[in-house]
Amino acid sequence: MDVDTDVPMHDAVEDQLDSTLDEEAPGFDNGLASSSPGTSGIADNKATKPVELTGSSIGQLDAWLEKLSQCQCLSEEDVAKLCKMAVDVLQFEDNVQPVSVPVTICGDVHGQFHDLIELFKIGGPCPDTNYLFMGDYVDRGYYSVETVSYLVALKVRYPSRITILRGNHESRQITQVYGFYDECLRKYGSANVWKMFTDLFDYFPITALVDNKIFCLHGGLSPMIETVDQVRELNRIQEVPHEGPMCDLLWSDPDDRGGWGISPRGAGFTFGQDISEQFNHTNDLSLIARAHQLVMEGYAWSHQQSVVTIFSAPNYCYRCGNQAAIMEVDDTMNRQFLQYNPSVRPGEPTVSRKTPDYFL
Amino acid sequence: MGDNSDSKVNLYPLALLMDELKHDDISNRVEAMKKLDTIALALGVQRTRDELIPFLTEVAQDDEDEVFAVLAEQLGNFVPFVGGRKYATLLLPALEILASTEETLVREKAVDSLNMVAEQLTEEQLLHDFVPLIENLATNEWFSSKVSACGLFKAVFVRIQDDKFRKDLLSLFLQLIQDDTPMVRRAAGRNLPTLVDQLTEHPELSTDDEWDYISSMFQRLVNDSQDSVKFLAVDVLISILKFFNKKKDFTHTKDLLQSSIQLIGDEAWRVRYMAADRFEELASQFVSNPQYVSELLEPFLALCQDNESDVRKAIAKQIPGYAKLLNDPSVILNRIIPAAQNLSIDETECVRASLALEITNLAPLLPKQDSMDSLVPILLHMLKDEFPDVRLNIIAKLKIVNESVGIEFLSENLLPAITELAKDPNWRVRLAIIEYIPLLAEQLGMEFFDSKLSDLCLSWLWDGVYSIRSAAITNLSKLTEIFGSDWAQEEIISRLLKSDTQLLENFNYRITLLFALTGLVPVVSTDVVVEKILPFVNHLSTDNVPNIRFNVAKFYAVIVEALTKNTNKNHIELINNTIIPTLEKLCQDPDVDVRFFSAQSLEKCKSFLS
Repeated sequence: MDVDTDVPMHDAVEDQLDSTLDEEAPGFDNGLASSSPGTSGIADNKATKPVELTGSSIGQLDAWLEKLSQCQCLSEEDVAKLCKMAVDVLQFEDNVQPVSVPVTICGDVHGQFHDLIELFKIGGPCPDTNYLFMGDYVDRGYYSVETVSYLVALKVRYPSRITILRGNHESRQITQVYGFYDECLRKYGSANVWKMFTDLFDYFPITALVDNKIFCLHGGLSPMIETVDQVRELNRIQEVPHEGPMCDLLWSDPDDRGGWGISPRGAGFTFGQDISEQFNHTNDLSLIARAHQLVMEGYAWSHQQSVVTIFSAPNYCYRCGNQAAIMEVDDTMNRQFLQYNPSVRPGEPTVSRKTPDYFL
Repeated sequence: MGDNSDSKVNLYPLALLMDELKHDDISNRVEAMKKLDTIALALGVQRTRDELIPFLTEVAQDDEDEVFAVLAEQLGNFVPFVGGRKYATLLLPALEILASTEETLVREKAVDSLNMVAEQLTEEQLLHDFVPLIENLATNEWFSSKVSACGLFKAVFVRIQDDKFRKDLLSLFLQLIQDDTPMVRRAAGRNLPTLVDQLTEHPELSTDDEWDYISSMFQRLVNDSQDSVKFLAVDVLISILKFFNKKKDFTHTKDLLQSSIQLIGDEAWRVRYMAADRFEELASQFVSNPQYVSELLEPFLALCQDNESDVRKAIAKQIPGYAKLLNDPSVILNRIIPAAQNLSIDETECVRASLALEITNLAPLLPKQDSMDSLVPILLHMLKDEFPDVRLNIIAKLKIVNESVGIEFLSENLLPAITELAKDPNWRVRLAIIEYIPLLAEQLGMEFFDSKLSDLCLSWLWDGVYSIRSAAITNLSKLTEIFGSDWAQEEIISRLLKSDTQLLENFNYRITLLFALTGLVPVVSTDVVVEKILPFVNHLSTDNVPNIRFNVAKFYAVIVEALTKNTNKNHIELINNTIIPTLEKLCQDPDVDVRFFSAQSLEKCKSFLS
C-alpha cells in the first residue's frame, strides 16, 4: 500500500545497485523530437562582462525564491527572465569552477523537490551554508521544474554561495525520455520552458575544484583527459555530446576492474583504481567527488578513498529505499557525511500513514 | 484564445468559440471551454439561451471526456448567464446528458452542477423539470445514470412540502438501493445518510411511512452480499440514531443498539473497520442511556483484539473518546487500560503509532494515582518503541499527562527516556524533545534543570543536523525567558565563550556560536550584550569565511536594536565608535554578499539610532 504504483516494481533495488541501474544514452537515430539549441532566446542579449545584481532584481529574486520554496512554479515569463539572468552569471564561470571551503557537496536530486528542502534542513539554508551541487536536478521525480527553478534562482541570487554543475540529465535528449520535457508540457502547456532551461544547461560548468584538492564532477574521468588544465580547454557551451571528453566527464563510473572499460550505459567509460590514483597524483588532488550512481547509504567510497560517490535523492524514484547524503567540507578541509531519509510529505500527517482507501 | 483581444471576442464570440471547439487539438478545445463564461457574458442572456445553450447541448453528446469535464463544471455557474432562475431549467438537458456519461469524473461534476442549479429552482420548477430528470436517470438501463441519480435526491428531498411526493421519491430510492449492480447500491448507500440528516434537520416533515422506507433500506444495506456496500450501513445507522435522538424518540434505540453490535461484530473486516473508525461517534448516540453505552464495551474490546491490523489501528484512536463516554474510572482502569496495554505492544507498528496519537487523553479520565500506576508505565514503554512515529506521537501529547499527574512524577520517570531520546538517530524525534524542553524547564525549576538538563541543551548546539542546532538556539532563548538574564550569563554564555580554540577552527562551530549568542541578545540584559556578546561578535567580523562576516553584519542590527531600546549615552557612543565603523568597513568587503548584508544592516542601524 505504501508502494508508489506509478513506478513498475520489476526492477527493484538490487537491479538498481548495479551500475547499469541508470539509463542508456540515446543514440543518434533515436527518433526523438529534434530541437535546435539556442532557439529559446534566453542567450540573445548576453552581457559582455559580469554584472552585479541591482536592488530591484534582488527584490524580484527574493520573491521568486519565496514562491519556489513553497513548491510553486514561476510563470513562463518569469522563467524567461530568470534564465536570461542565469546565462549572464554562468557564462563567466570556468569549466573547472574554483570553489572555496567551507562548502557542502551534494549529488543527484532528480526533481524530488521536498527532499531538496529536507537537504537544506539538514545542511542549513543557503546563503548561510555554501553549496556545490553535482548535477542531475531534473527527470524522474515529480517536481523537476520547481527543483531546477529553485536552484537556478539561488545561483543567480547568491552566485558566490552556490555552485551548480551540469549532470548527464541536464541535456535536451535525456530530458525528453526521462520526464522533464513531459513535466514542462504538463505544467506550462508548451515546450517553451523546457527549451529555455535546456538552452541554459549548456552554460552550466562541468566540473569544480574545491580548494585545489577535491575535484568535483557529475560522472567521472575520461581517457582523453589527463590533467585538470585539459578540462579548462574544452568548449562546454553545447549540448552534451555523444562521445569525447565532455561526454565522459558527465557519464563515466568508477569500477572495481583496473584500467578503462566500456560503460554499460552506452556513453562514457568505466575507470579503475589505477586511473583515479594516477589522476589525483598528476593533479595534486586528494579526492574525486562525483554523483551519478544510486548508493544505498547515500555515499560510498571507492578506489581506496580516491573517489567518493554522493547521492542526494533519498528513496530514489520514491521507491528505492536508499538513504541520501551530503558531504560537508569545513574550512580546515575536514569532511563529514550527513545522511538523511525522505522528507515528511506536506499535507500528510507526521505520523500515521494515510488510511488506504479499500473501498473504491 | 488567450491572445485574442477583447474587441474580437465581442465581435465574433460564438464563431470563435465554435472554431476553437472544433479545433483538432484537444487542449485548444479544453481551453475554449474554460472561457465559456466570458463568451456567455459577451453574448448576452438572450443569445446565450437561443444559440449557445443548444450548441452546448450538442457538444455534450460529441466530444472527449476532458472537454465534457470542463463543460459540466461550467454549467453549474451558468444560471445568471441565461437570465436567472426563470430560465435555469434550460441548462438541465445538457447536464442530464453529461450525468449519463461513462467517465466518473464527468458524471461527478455534472451531478455537482445539477445540485447547484437545483438550489436556485423554485418548487414548481423542481416538480416540473428536476424530478422527472431524476426519474429518467434512476430508471435508465445503464448503471452510470443510476449512480448519478443517487446524488440528486438531496436537492429536492426536503424542498417540496408534499408528503406523497417524498414517499414516491423514497420508493424510487429503495429501488436503487436494491439495484442489481453493486455500483448503484454503493452510490445509494453513500447518499442515504445525507437524506436522513435532512429529515433530522426538518423534524416537522417526517412521517411514519418514511421511517418504514428508511428502515427497510437500512435492512437491505445490512444484509447486502457485497462488503463494499454493507459497510456503508455504519454511517446510515449513525444518521438514523441522530434522527431519533433529535426527536427524543427512544422506542427504537434498543433495536438500533442490537444493529450496532451486529455491525461491530460483522464477519467482513471492512465493516468492522468502518465501525471501529466511527466508534466514538456511534457510541455517543447512546449516551441517553448509560446502560447501552456499557453494552458496547464487549464489542469494543473485541475490536481491540481484531485479527486485522487495520481494524485495531482504527479502534486504537477511539479509545479515550469511548472511555470518556463510559464515564466510569473503575471500568476504564480494569477493562480499557488493559486493552490499551495490549495495543501498545501490538506487532504492527502503525497500530502502535495510532494508539500513541490519542492514548495520553486517558490521563484526565483517571484519578491521579491510577494514572501514575497504570497509564504512565504504558507511556514510558511506548517512548522506547523501536518505531520513531510512536515515540514522536507520545512526546507531542505529553502535556496533557503533565496536567493530571504532575510534572514531578512524570519528570522523574521521564528523564531517563528523554536523555535516551535526545540521542535518537531520527532527527525529528530529537527535534520533538527539544521543543518539549521549555515546558519541562518551567515546571522543574532552575535548580533541578541545571543539574539534569543544561548539559543536554548545550550539546544539541553541536548536532550534525542544522535544524537541530537551530532549534537548540531557539530553546536557549526560551529558557532564558524563563530563568532570566543572570542564569543565561552564568549557565550558557560563559560556558559557550569558554569553548577551546581548536573547536573555533571549525566553521560550523563558529557560526552556531554566533547564532546562539545573537539569539540571546533580545532576552538578556544590555550589560551582558555589551560585556560578553559584542566583543565576540567583533572578533568574528574579520573571519576568513564570508558567511561568518555577513552574519556578523546582520547581527549588528539585532544588537543595535537591543541597545537603543532604552536611551543610554554609553551605548550610543559604543555603537557610533565600534559597530558603525566596523559595518562601514564590511561594506567594502571583497565578497558581494558581505557588502550586500552590511549595507542593509547599516541602514537598519541608522534607523534605530535616529
